[in-house]
Order: sequence, then structure tokens, then C-alpha cells
Amino acid sequence: MNGRRAVTLVAWREIRERLRSKTFLASTVLILALVGGSAFLGRLLNPQKTYNVAVTAPAPPGIDAALQRAAQPFDNAKVHVRVVSSTAAGRRLLEDRQVDVLLVLSHDHLVFRDTVDPKVAAAADTAVRGLRNELPPSPELTSSTLHPPQETSDEAATTVAYAGSILLFISLAFYGQWVISGIVEEKNNRVVEVILSTVQPRHLLAGKVIGIGSLGFAQLALTVALAAGLLLAGVFDAPAALSGDIALVIPWFVLGYALYAVAYAVAGALASSQQNAETAGQPVTYALIGVYWAGFAALSSNPDGALATLLTIFPLSAPLVLPARSALVGVPLWQHALALVLVLTTIYLLIRFAGRVYAHGLLHGGPRLGLRAAWRLARQH
Amino acid sequence: MLTVADIQKRFGALEALAGCSFTVERGSMLGFLGPNGAGKTTAMRAVFGLVDLDAGELLWDGDPITLTERLRFGYMPEERGLYPRMPVGDQIEYFARLHGLETPMARTAAADWLARLGLGERMGAKVEELSHGNQQRAQLAAALVHGPELLVLDEPFAGLDPVAVHTLARVLRDEAARGAAVVFSSHQLDLVEDICQDVAIIDHGRIVASGDLATLRRSSQSRRVALQLDGAPPEWKPDIAGVQLVDRHNGDLRLLVGRDVDPDMVLAAAQRTARVVEFAYGPPSLDELFLELVGK
Repeated sequence: MNGRRAVTLVAWREIRERLRSKTFLASTVLILALVGGSAFLGRLLNPQKTYNVAVTAPAPPGIDAALQRAAQPFDNAKVHVRVVSSTAAGRRLLEDRQVDVLLVLSHDHLVFRDTVDPKVAAAADTAVRGLRNELPPSPELTSSTLHPPQETSDEAATTVAYAGSILLFISLAFYGQWVISGIVEEKNNRVVEVILSTVQPRHLLAGKVIGIGSLGFAQLALTVALAAGLLLAGVFDAPAALSGDIALVIPWFVLGYALYAVAYAVAGALASSQQNAETAGQPVTYALIGVYWAGFAALSSNPDGALATLLTIFPLSAPLVLPARSALVGVPLWQHALALVLVLTTIYLLIRFAGRVYAHGLLHGGPRLGLRAAWRLARQH
Repeated sequence: MLTVADIQKRFGALEALAGCSFTVERGSMLGFLGPNGAGKTTAMRAVFGLVDLDAGELLWDGDPITLTERLRFGYMPEERGLYPRMPVGDQIEYFARLHGLETPMARTAAADWLARLGLGERMGAKVEELSHGNQQRAQLAAALVHGPELLVLDEPFAGLDPVAVHTLARVLRDEAARGAAVVFSSHQLDLVEDICQDVAIIDHGRIVASGDLATLRRSSQSRRVALQLDGAPPEWKPDIAGVQLVDRHNGDLRLLVGRDVDPDMVLAAAQRTARVVEFAYGPPSLDELFLELVGK
């Protein structure tokens, strides 16, 4: 049988059997319930926003009520108005974060601290125009900021990149356990002997990783889709516009996922038949935690430093570090390319290595293979 | 034809296979015999690439055995194993597809075999819900479902009740009649004698005898004598050189005598002592031949 057919068959069996299991269905429902629940909980805990608005004197009567009415459509927000004696006093309050915006009525002008909040601007505009219906028409409010505006897209991209790393980290640790327990189980119930009489070990392992991996990925995608749906429906607060860096998170997510799924497969192949899946997977989990924290530390101290660069290229850390670093400071093209090549090569080598270790363990009665013996094995042939 | 040629395998200090050779023709059934630890399982696993051989060759119709050939082989390992939580029907179909059958054919073949082995009603049951005997049948179906050209079964009769033994023996005979080469290991020598024309006996990793069972028995250096005596003294045995008492039960005696010992002399000695009710002379049974070859 050719390799692709064998891999496909094995992968399909994994998917079918797992879809049939109540554990899988229960965990999917649970995760979806958690995401949905947390969204509504978030809304429950933080039901209303308050806009603190400073208005320069003399404030026209009714500005308070007008602002309140105008803000109503925006997240059911409340408005708290403070009248200030001068523009300078208002600016001080703004600087001290006691108010969110300063409305200088004499100049039809809004002052924000560092970013223009379009919702507040719209509410103020509506309110002022409402008041001036009795007055001569006037131009729309103009906006400015106290400080030069920060690049909002960058901030969003960084958030996405960091959130992507955390999500990847958590899902790797979670779905990695599926991969390893699938492999250890098969080894323990001896069915593997019949399978290996028709399928090469590396094809069997690749099939298992792809099957379990894509199912885990589907579950994750479903969760993300639900979160995105809730976001669009306005249950979550929509973040500011996302830059193209989000596009980088997705492929690296897939690559990281593939890499660690295979690494867990190697751990499963190395495990003795008595060992349970959890302890067998520990080395990989520790490595994952290690690179995650190293990456976090390197990026927060000096994202342009040597350590950060190294972790961008190193295959085990690249999926976690590269997207985040790219959002923070940018990553040269050659590092993208090198990291990609290294990760793909590592996945391929790990699959082959796992296949060999797997077959070896099986053929030699299955005591746990020491690292040195495994290394020797890897260099054979 | 399966050709096992001088295969060798050493596990550390243990020499599991020390130059083991035998052949199995298409359409014939070979009983693969040997004491525990003689190398039977290692040799069978080697056919499926589950043992890295140190030396020797495994050929199918004269060509080295690769994964391509193995797709047309069926294997029932000593340590049985199926997916415990997978339904039986799906599982057998899966094995058929692993052996290269397309889905519709695999499905039909799985249903046919399970029906034939009496599991037709249990196709939807999970393996772990089946009785031990039924799990054995499912395992057999997994080995047979793709109509293999070579069938290798490691201790297929172990742990079966007499009815199941009968069913399995018939299935194996049918497979050989269909043209498959069948080889199985067993400790139930009387059963092997009943259903196999050929045997290979392995001891310490070496084949000590192989070929047509009747020929092997005839070429043995000993002959068996069965005597039923009426009125013989309890401790009596013929006092002739080369005669060995194997078993005595009341008046029934079983003797093993050298091939050159004249049976008439044994009969005459018995007649001098008591009335001879029954006298039989012939080549040793497989059981006796086995003990002669590998007996300690």
C-alpha cells in the first residue's frame, strides 16, 4: 500500500472513532459552553460603561441630559459630566485620567488623551447638535488628542500575537495529551502488531498525528468561530482594527500545532508499555513551558536582542515567538524563511525518528528506551 | 510458496533463531512445532517484518518479502490485539482496507467472514463487549478478511473450546483448499496430526525436522508398540534390548522400541507372560516423534 493511502486510512479511523466517543463530544460541548458562558458572564459583570466628560464653562443647560440621551445607543453607556472653568483645567483633568474627554464648546472641539474614541465623539456630536437645534447651525465637532496618537493597529496586532501564543501554548498542551494517549493505548493493547504487518511505523504515526491533530484543530476552530461570532454579535467588545499581522498567527499556529503533535508522538513512541500517557508526555510539556517563558521573557526585555532572534529561528520556539516578535518589532524576511524551513525539517525528522523508535520499542519487548539508545537508533540506517 | 532460509536473530545473549529454514507450499498446511522459547514466535514475526533479522532470507514465490507482499498475507499474532472500543464490523473492514481492499469490497468481506465465524449478529458490538471466544473469532476474521495468499497464525487453537477448535480447523482446511499457504504454531500435537500434512519442528532456533508428517514418522529411529495384556504381572515389561516403557495403565502398555527391533520378538515375549488382547506396531505418533527430537 502506498504511504498516503495508509496515512489517510489511519487518520480517518482516528477521526471516526473519536467522533463516536462520548468524551470527545462532551469536551466539545463543554468548551463551547465555557466560551459562550464567559462572554455572557463578562457582560453581566461589566454591564454598563460610563463616559466621564469635562465640559468648559459656561455649559449650556441640558447638556448633561443631551449627552446622556446620545450615549444611550452606545453599549447603554452612562455619562458623567463635570463642568470645568477653563480649557487648561479640563486638560489637567484629562491628563490625570479623571475624565475621558474634554468638550470645549466655545471651539466646537473635543480633546482626548491619546486615542480618539469614536463612540464618545459620535455621542458628543449628537448631543451638541441636538442642543443647537434652537441655535444657529454650527459646524461639527473637531477632535484632537493631548499626546500624539499611538498606532492603534500595532497595539491590536501585538494583542493578537500574544493572545495567539497563549492560545497555541494552551491548545498544544491540551491536544498533545490526546496524541500521546492515542499512541500509548494502541501500544498497550497490542493491536499495533497486526497493523505494523501492513503499515510502516512512520505512516501509522503520521496518520495518528494527522487524525487526532485535525480533530483537535477542528474543535479549536469551532471554539474560535463561536468567539468570533459572539464578537460580531457585539457580545464581546470589538477590538480596534487588526493589521495584517493576524494573518501570520494562523499559519504559525498550524505549524506549531503540527510540530508539537509530532513531538508528543515521539514521547508516546518512547514510552514503555507500562508507562501512562501523562508521565510519558512530561518532557515535551516541560520543553513547551520552557520555550514559552523564554520567549515571553526575551520579548518583554529586548525584542531585538540576540536571544529573541535565536528563539525566532529555533524550531521549538519559533511558532510561539515569531508571530509575537513580528508584531512587536518586525522580523526580517530571511528569519521568516529560515524558521519555516527549520520547523518543516524538524517535523519531517521527528516523524521518521518516532517511527523508528516506535518499531524498535515494539520489536524489543518495550522497555523504556533511554535517550542515548534512542539517539543511536536515530543515527542508524 | 513461503521460503524461510537460514534466518538468524540474537537478542543479547539469547540466540532466538540460529539458522532456521523451512518452506510452505501454496495449498498446504504446515504445523510449526517446538517447545516454549524455541523461536516459533520470533520466526513468525520475522515474516511480517516485526523482527530485524541478523541474517537469512524470507522469500515469497522466490522474491524477498516486502510490505507489498505482506499486504497479501494474513497474520494472527500470539498476543491478540484489537481496538477494544471499536465496533467489530468496522474493525474488520478497517483491516481489510489496510490490506488494500476498496471500501465496498472490504465491507462485504468483513460481513461475510463475521457471519461465517458466527459473529454476524454482533457486528455492531464493541470488541470489549464480546466474550473471550468471540474476540478470538474476531481476531481470526481480521487475519482472513482479505483472502490472504499466506496465512500465519501463532497458537490459534490456544484457549478455544472443542466446538471452536473444530470450526477453526475446518476454516484452516478450507483456506488451504482455496490455495492459501497456511502455517500455524501449536502445542496440541494430536490436533496438528489430524489436520496437517506437513510439519516443521524447531528447537533452540534450529529446525530439527521438517516435511511430510507420515514420512517423518516412518523415518524415525523408533517404533511404537501398543499392547493390551490380560493377566500379566503388574511390573512386567519385555526384557529386550532397545525396548523402552513409555506408559502403563492396568493391562495397557505403550512401548517405544528401536527401528531394528523385531516386533515378533516383542509379541512372543508378551505371549509367554499373558494373553495378548491387542497388539499394534507402527511408526511413532507425532507426540512421540516430538519428544524423541526435542526431548530432554
